[in-house]
Amino acid sequence: MQRTRQIAIILPDTLQCIGLQSVLIDYFHPVEVSCFSSFTAFTSEGYESFEYYFTNADLFVLNSEFFLPRKNKTIILVQDAAGEYPANYVPVSSSLEVLLEKLRDVFAGESLVNHLTDEGKDLSHREKDVLQLIVKGSTNKEIADKLNISLNTVLTHRKNITAKLGIKTVSGLTYYAIMNGFISADDIDV
Amino acid sequence: MPLVYSNRPLSEVVENHTSLIPMINRFGVRLGLGDKTVETICQEHQLDTEFFLAIINTFLNEEYFPEKKLQTFHSLQIIDYLTKTNQYYLRFQIPNIERHLNSLISMSNPENQSLNLIGKFFTSFRDELSARIHHDATVWFPYCQSLNSRLSEERIPGAFTGMKIEEEGEDTIESLLADLKSIMIKYLSGEYDQNLCYAVIFSLSSLEKDIKQHNRIRYRILTPMVSAMENQLNS
Repeated sequence: MQRTRQIAIILPDTLQCIGLQSVLIDYFHPVEVSCFSSFTAFTSEGYESFEYYFTNADLFVLNSEFFLPRKNKTIILVQDAAGEYPANYVPVSSSLEVLLEKLRDVFAGESLVNHLTDEGKDLSHREKDVLQLIVKGSTNKEIADKLNISLNTVLTHRKNITAKLGIKTVSGLTYYAIMNGFISADDIDV
Repeated sequence: MPLVYSNRPLSEVVENHTSLIPMINRFGVRLGLGDKTVETICQEHQLDTEFFLAIINTFLNEEYFPEKKLQTFHSLQIIDYLTKTNQYYLRFQIPNIERHLNSLISMSNPENQSLNLIGKFFTSFRDELSARIHHDATVWFPYCQSLNSRLSEERIPGAFTGMKIEEEGEDTIESLLADLKSIMIKYLSGEYDQNLCYAVIFSLSSLEKDIKQHNRIRYRILTPMVSAMENQLNS
């Protein structure tokens, strides 16, 4: 499940705020967007919870102390479309297509990080042992005894297995285990 | 998604959201809607327009769930609706998935073990759902109805011992369905008929959507109603 991006828009121009907000909601679901008309209004909220910031060049310069350390997560709207800009500068005259591409690139940096954690989705040896016992119908207590681990550890393994596979039910885990060769269909009743 | 109001022609709404067809059928409304508004159609079928609209809107918008409003309807209305959805699953949606699944299995390579396993998984899901529906029809709904009639009759003195109330948590039916779909999408292997496979997944998804709405009404509307009735009887 994709998590919701927390986005702050800090722009004095109400229409720009609304426009950006609706583009983000329409094309980059799931997002939660908050609009602020000034930097003061923004800081008076708990601004630490945001992951991305949209602002303009003036506000960026005036509040560089805040924005510079977060510049990878800040998108700056600029008036002048001429010349070359760094990736996170977006000319306000951009077409929707260009705008979407820019935004996609900004968010793509983040999905790369998620991709790396995907590698950790394979079950560990221990988790496979636990999975095999679950699908054979063992209770948590029996699994703990058999593997010589505590009941709490069994519960943690079960939680991690469900989180990694996205499968919640014992039936689901059973068919997953058979289809992936962790267990043979002859070993259990299906 | 914009909400549907009573002055809109129902045909217009249905044209945009054909998934509503089975839903309106459950209320006894059949196609050939003409240009009649929701209100007119409800009057013709003696349906509570507000209830009809609340059901349509919560079905179309997963985000929209007017708990307060739904609680104002009569518990018998809610039970009647849930019974109708149960009947629809048993009589149409489940046989429909089975039909697709059976042709998927018979039209694909018979050596394909993964399809046979999916078939077995579906059977166990079907048995679980049928068991819940049977329990609803024979135990749970009659119990809710009995509370209701006891409240409207003369109060019978004495403490009232309630039944264990269903609670919202992980709903097994919903989780099984999600797992079944996910396993097909992620781990299907071998030769199979792609078109029939899509038909199976499509019908599973439409059942999933329906059951989600059913469960929201079941756990968030009916359950609180029942506890309120029990408290009233015990007071």
